[in-house]
Amino acid sequence: MPEMAGLDEGTPLFVQVADRLAGEIADGGLAEGERVPSTNELAAFYRINPATAAKGINVLADDGLLEKRRGIGMFVATGARQRLLARRRAEFTQRYVAPLLSEAARLGIDTDELFDLIKDAGHEREGVSL
Amino acid sequence: MTPAISVAGLTRRYRDHTALDDINIAISGGTITGLLGRNGAGKTTLLRILAGHEFPSSGSVRVLGAPPAENEDVLRRLVFVREDQAYPDIKVGQALRAASWFHPNWDSTLASSLLDDFGVRANKAVKKLSRGQRSALGITIGLAARAEVTLFDEPYAGLDAVARQVFYDRLLADFAEFPRTVLLSTHLIDEAAALFEGVIVIDRGRVVLDAPADVLRGVATRVSGPCLAVDALAGGRPVWERRRLGSQASVVMVGPLSPDDREQARSSGLDLTPLSLQQIVVQAAAGVLAPAPETSFETERTCA
Amino acid sequence: MNTWVKVARYHLVRPANYLFLLWILPFSFAVGAVTAGRSRGHDAAGYLISFFIYFGVLGMQTIGRSLPFGLTLGASRRSFYSGTALLGMALALVSGLVLTALQAIERATDGWGLSMHFFRVPYLLNGPWYATWLTSAVVLFALFVYGMWHGIVYSRWGPLGTLAFIAVQVLVVVAGAVVVRFEHWGVRSAASGSSVGLTALGLTAVVAALAVLVLAGGHATIRRATV
Repeated sequence: MPEMAGLDEGTPLFVQVADRLAGEIADGGLAEGERVPSTNELAAFYRINPATAAKGINVLADDGLLEKRRGIGMFVATGARQRLLARRRAEFTQRYVAPLLSEAARLGIDTDELFDLIKDAGHEREGVSL
Repeated sequence: MTPAISVAGLTRRYRDHTALDDINIAISGGTITGLLGRNGAGKTTLLRILAGHEFPSSGSVRVLGAPPAENEDVLRRLVFVREDQAYPDIKVGQALRAASWFHPNWDSTLASSLLDDFGVRANKAVKKLSRGQRSALGITIGLAARAEVTLFDEPYAGLDAVARQVFYDRLLADFAEFPRTVLLSTHLIDEAAALFEGVIVIDRGRVVLDAPADVLRGVATRVSGPCLAVDALAGGRPVWERRRLGSQASVVMVGPLSPDDREQARSSGLDLTPLSLQQIVVQAAAGVLAPAPETSFETERTCA
Repeated sequence: MNTWVKVARYHLVRPANYLFLLWILPFSFAVGAVTAGRSRGHDAAGYLISFFIYFGVLGMQTIGRSLPFGLTLGASRRSFYSGTALLGMALALVSGLVLTALQAIERATDGWGLSMHFFRVPYLLNGPWYATWLTSAVVLFALFVYGMWHGIVYSRWGPLGTLAFIAVQVLVVVAGAVVVRFEHWGVRSAASGSSVGLTALGLTAVVAALAVLVLAGGHATIRRATV
């Protein structure tokens, strides 16, 4: 079952496949110019219908993140990683900052206190990673 | 492009009941479609008619462009794996040999490999096979035939979960290599849900749902939590079910959820659980696809 | 390979299923040999009847046992019917030949040294070898397709339907006997060697005609059979 590979019930499968691949590209797991798994490989891995896998790939291809090399397969387009990261940056506020603020408001943490919390946690993280 | 399977106004009446009532379906070639519904809903009758094993009372049936009954040009390009196949007094290997003569695309290497996967020996008498082994034989014939139209009627009786997964995997793998039109009837919906491109739900002889699987995933979400918050989110939207327990409520909301919706749910402490395909089918078969009555929780005084 | 031939081959995919044919003949022969030993010169031909009846049973079984998977394989009902009848014809010809050969040996050895006449049926199988072959093959084939028809009737209408089918046949036979009496065709006088009666070949022709009738009947009945 695809749930075993982490796909869930909520969003259409092809969207999840596209998101997974986009995530891989953004994280650097799939480098620019590298071949992306084929429709059949994805279908077998996620245990889904090949047409669904193909749809997911097409989403990214239509977006210009993947390019087709005839006879060989789909490859990560140049600049794909940058574009994805830029997109995620743009979404960062809506996806992460807004929820953070609303949760903080719920708990009665004001902006200054929130600021301090972030600073401390951030420095700790950077300290650990050094 | 003509659909691989098309059925119009199909009705099948028996003396004491109507098994199929005005069925209209079109299935495109090269897809895997799930045929879902309760026991006795009419799935088997539909498949038998598509395979030419039964005759319609009225309506038209076209498989690969022509009526299948008694039509060998169609039948040779079709394979039907029945739930209750009766075999003569022969061995497994002999059944496969006979099948190889009748199916032009037959692949005997695939057949042997499938028998191995399921642990069925070719020189065993079919009569002596266990229920699961018989199902494995049916599946082997169904897949190795590589028929343009492949019909499966709950082909997994007696197979444990591991063997069923082997079936799904082999089906997908061979389908990827040799695309064909597959119609798979099952009541183990969630296991097979990801295989389907299309889903058809039959209940009491009628089609109650016929949609792409993509559309159905995420079409309905269970929203549960404080009843006022539930109402705030679900108010004015189509809802399939409403439940109350004290100050908690749970509704099944229909329609996509925007990121704002999700944020609203998160901040008001609501739990969002998408309905699985199986749950959606259960709702469809129970005839609950119509919106639930309009009452909102606000009118109930105990909702604090 | 045309579908009829595929169907015939499908029936034979496990040859052992039809080799029973070869076993039943010597078995009934052995039984006959044992009991006939008590009264010399006795015609033990009655034991041959079990073989002929078995052909009818075989025909019936082809439907109940092999039609379901046959349909699944993709044969149309009519092709299944024709292919099975083709098989029946082949089996009848081969079996007829075997009977003829055994009859020849019996004659040559003067009843197997015991004056037994197992393979001689007075009037019917008492002539030259080719007549024996023709008559036995035709009768066997007729019984086979008759059995097939019964198999189809049973499959479509169950035991009650079969009873009704038999009742109709009885009526037809009775009506036929009444007509024959009126016309004084004197088939019954054949036993006394009267020249008014039908020859063995003539009777064979009648059986052949009946077989054709049964073939048509079965072919029509199988068209809406479901399994």
